[in-house]
Amino acid sequence: MLIQAQQLEKTVDTSEGPLQILQPINVSINAGDTVAIVGASGSGKSTLLSLLAGLDLASSGEVLIENEKLSELDEEQRAKVRADKVGFIFQSFLLVPSLSALENVMLPAELAGHKGAEKEARELLAKVGLEDRWHHYPNQLSGGEQQRVAIARAFVGQPKILFADEPTGNLDAKTGGKVEELLFDLNKDYGTTLVVVTHDQRLAERCQRVLQMEAGQLSEAAQDVA
Amino acid sequence: MWHKISFRLLKQELRRGELTIMALAIILSVTAVLSLSIFSDRLQAGLTERSSEFLAADRVLSSRRDIPQEWLEQAGQMNLKTAWKVVFNSMAFADGNMTLVDVKAVSEGYPLRGELEIADQPFGQGYVARGLPAEGEAWVASQLFQALQLEIGDDIEVGNSSFKVTKVVTYEPDVGFSVFTDSPNVLIRHSQLEETGLIQPGSRVRFNVLMAGESNAIDAYEDWLLPRLNDDTHSWRSIEDGDSPLSRSLNRAERFMMLASLLGVVLAATAVAVAAQRYCQRNYDVVAIFKTLGASRQQIRRIFMLHLLLLTAASVAIGMALGWALQYLVIEWVAQKLDATLPQAGWQPYVLAGATGVISAVMFTLYPLFRLVSIPPLRVLHRQLTAGNAVRWLQWILSGGTIYALLVIYSQQWWLSTALFAGGAVAAVLLLGLGRLFISASRKAGMQAGSSWRLAMAGLQRRAAANSVQMLSFSTAIMLLLLVIVLRNDLLEDWKSQLPADAPNYFAINIAEDKVDDMQTMFERENIPSTDLYPIVPGRLTHINGEKLLDEVTKEDRDDNEAEGREGIGRELSLTWRDTLPPNNELTAGEWWGDDAEPQVSVELNVSERLDIKVGDELRFNLGGEEFTVPVTSLRKADWNTLQPNFYMIFNTSTLEDFPATYITSFRLGEDRKDELYQLFKPFPQTSLIDLDAMINQIREVIGQVSLAIVFVLVLVIIAGALVLVAQVQASMEERQKELVILRTLGAPGKLLSRSITYEFLVLGAISGLIATLAMEVSLFILQNQVFNMTPVIHWKLWLLGPVFGAVVVAVLGRLSCHRLIQRNTAQLIRKLA
Repeated sequence: MLIQAQQLEKTVDTSEGPLQILQPINVSINAGDTVAIVGASGSGKSTLLSLLAGLDLASSGEVLIENEKLSELDEEQRAKVRADKVGFIFQSFLLVPSLSALENVMLPAELAGHKGAEKEARELLAKVGLEDRWHHYPNQLSGGEQQRVAIARAFVGQPKILFADEPTGNLDAKTGGKVEELLFDLNKDYGTTLVVVTHDQRLAERCQRVLQMEAGQLSEAAQDVA
Repeated sequence: MWHKISFRLLKQELRRGELTIMALAIILSVTAVLSLSIFSDRLQAGLTERSSEFLAADRVLSSRRDIPQEWLEQAGQMNLKTAWKVVFNSMAFADGNMTLVDVKAVSEGYPLRGELEIADQPFGQGYVARGLPAEGEAWVASQLFQALQLEIGDDIEVGNSSFKVTKVVTYEPDVGFSVFTDSPNVLIRHSQLEETGLIQPGSRVRFNVLMAGESNAIDAYEDWLLPRLNDDTHSWRSIEDGDSPLSRSLNRAERFMMLASLLGVVLAATAVAVAAQRYCQRNYDVVAIFKTLGASRQQIRRIFMLHLLLLTAASVAIGMALGWALQYLVIEWVAQKLDATLPQAGWQPYVLAGATGVISAVMFTLYPLFRLVSIPPLRVLHRQLTAGNAVRWLQWILSGGTIYALLVIYSQQWWLSTALFAGGAVAAVLLLGLGRLFISASRKAGMQAGSSWRLAMAGLQRRAAANSVQMLSFSTAIMLLLLVIVLRNDLLEDWKSQLPADAPNYFAINIAEDKVDDMQTMFERENIPSTDLYPIVPGRLTHINGEKLLDEVTKEDRDDNEAEGREGIGRELSLTWRDTLPPNNELTAGEWWGDDAEPQVSVELNVSERLDIKVGDELRFNLGGEEFTVPVTSLRKADWNTLQPNFYMIFNTSTLEDFPATYITSFRLGEDRKDELYQLFKPFPQTSLIDLDAMINQIREVIGQVSLAIVFVLVLVIIAGALVLVAQVQASMEERQKELVILRTLGAPGKLLSRSITYEFLVLGAISGLIATLAMEVSLFILQNQVFNMTPVIHWKLWLLGPVFGAVVVAVLGRLSCHRLIQRNTAQLIRKLA
């Protein structure tokens, strides 16, 4: 079992008292799975993603990545886990504006201290079709190109898990389709476990499992379709 | 690996101009501190050197007895130049006429500082003298030609010797300024002193050795000499100890420069702080991404620390180079303009400037950096997340402590720094409160206005907390700017008023009573502006409230006479009478007599303080053997900086009018009419003239130098202020940008947006300007009272000008910064935000 959530809850304090965003959630994701989390806005999809990825801590319950309890790790140790095992793709791309496409892709590998980051990054950029744009800065790239850079960055260092938060949400249908294609192709090549939060029905349908989020509760929405 | 990432980020941040303001702020503070401290060091040294002309030397060793030759030799060995100047009173005779003169016997090299000027005819145009009178010759003052009916080439007798008069002395740098005590000068060679036979044991002679040289040589000699001096017979003087007519002005100028530079440094530091905060805020997302991708805190800390260090090092280096070049250019310019060379400065300014740059860069960036490192990775999903405010006090301690440290380092006066700092802290708190108050008031007003205004006011209100901080820095910048500008004007005005263009340039003394009317008629006929004619009766103050005063002429005399008794003035005074209070005099206690015929006297304030005289005290005077006692009925403040006759003691007319008196006046005669002087005063042979032009010019020149220096300081402070304003406006852009996108998307026309932004900044600027004016008046009042000894005035014009200036400058800056944002189309903006 690569990722496990046990009795995972998240409550936040608001001016009108505590608000429970996640009801107790139990879910297990196997290595190599592709999982879509779907649901309405505000249903708690992104919160779940942030807990699974160790970006935030649960109010109670536990997340385990390769049997390591995230709640027992401090922020630095969780960062290490992310550096070693996790890649990310975001709706708003989140490239570093002061780094070129190539440097953005190299970044996770360099932070983790990997040698040969540049070679790997160039290969990945070539795979996403941006071999001639590697020296461009994010503001010189279109939305679709930026997301392709983000995908390349997510796969550098060959993470075991890839979390994607609405990866096509900011793109038009055509570009979104291309990006989606790329994501799944690379995922296949690298055998990564993919957890994707999305509104996009077509994207969700390409995943092996679809989890439905509704008012903080998670349910299995579809069986294996692949 | 981290340093590679750091370099890459830095390279692009620099290219995109993200660090420009911060770099500029550091560069500016280093440039300002370096150029100002070198400049003021050099100017100070130059001014001291120039002022030394009033002594004709850097130091003067003065004694009533002859000075051991060994002391001169020692000075020579220590690389000091020396020259003798022996001064005494004697009668001079020429062709049956005689008069009292000051004989000045000087040796080769005199004057060591400044120039001696001579003319070929009495009251003629002076030129610089090369050397001294030859053996057997004397150069004498113009007045002596009148008194002794001399012509060039005549002989005068002094003691046993006879001297041929070959030149007229028109200017001696060390002539001093005492209208009543100086007799006309006769300049002879020191080597001929002995022949005159006038130097006898017990004769009243002042032996002076003038010395000049490098300041460290002087210090070394001073160390050697001081233990050998006898306090009672010797005096060792530098220009700072002297009553130079400039010392007060110089003092003020120095304080002004120091204060202005301090404020400049504080402004630059503020700019660093604002820019650093903004820089870090802009990098919140980057740090969140880094952390999401697995970066540790340590990696992030190192990456951004390296930025800071590199930026600081580069900026300090650039600042040093710029500062050096700037002061070099300005000094060259000043030197050229004023025909002076200024000595080099030491190494201290470089250390000071470097330290200022590093301290302000590091200390003001620490807190923002601390927050930056603590940004949670979750920000990638929740953009509103920032670092906690838990250690806000750390920021206050760091920035407060840094500003205080800078103040102390720079002024080296902890009391001044503490006062400024405490005042600043109180002002900041008040300003924050006031700012919020004004914003909420203007919000109410804005609700009744058109849509651009409403939008602007809503914006102001929404960002009230951020705005009041922003307003604090606007206000501070505007206030410091106003402060420096106003202070500069007040200082210059103050100096100008001492030396108006029509200031009298001659004193006429010894005017006989029966010639007073003739002279007044002559002034009127010839259209020569003059002051009133004041009668002078010489007399001594002998008792205060029946207590006998020490007749202390010299300390030696005191030792010989009695050791006890109340301190007196110790010399004959020039007494006068008048019905009205003289111009430039101000009553500080008691009442002026008007028509009251009862004998009474009005005493000048400084003398009253020195002798502890109060209104109602009884003073006894001795006028040529006749004694009388009068009550003090008023105390007066006289302006000693004006070139008009001033008196310690003024009596009412009935008290003195029966005593024989001579008269004194001062008048102005333009350069072009100087040659008429001889003819004009021919009918008044007893009258002596004292030419003040040389002294006035000297004062003007020095004031000119100082004024230039002040303009230079002003420019630097203005740049620093502008930098703060720009940094602050830029810092607020981020926030505005989001709103702009929303409003734009909702279809708000560009005009509405740009107007509302302009109005918002207009109001912010106006309020800041108003607060700044208020704060400026208060600080100015304290400064003028406590630091500059000036009379504080309220600057009504600024109450209008301050807010208008603030509104216009801030609005223009704000509008310019927003310009690009408004010009962009909505899609571009959204993308930029995403």
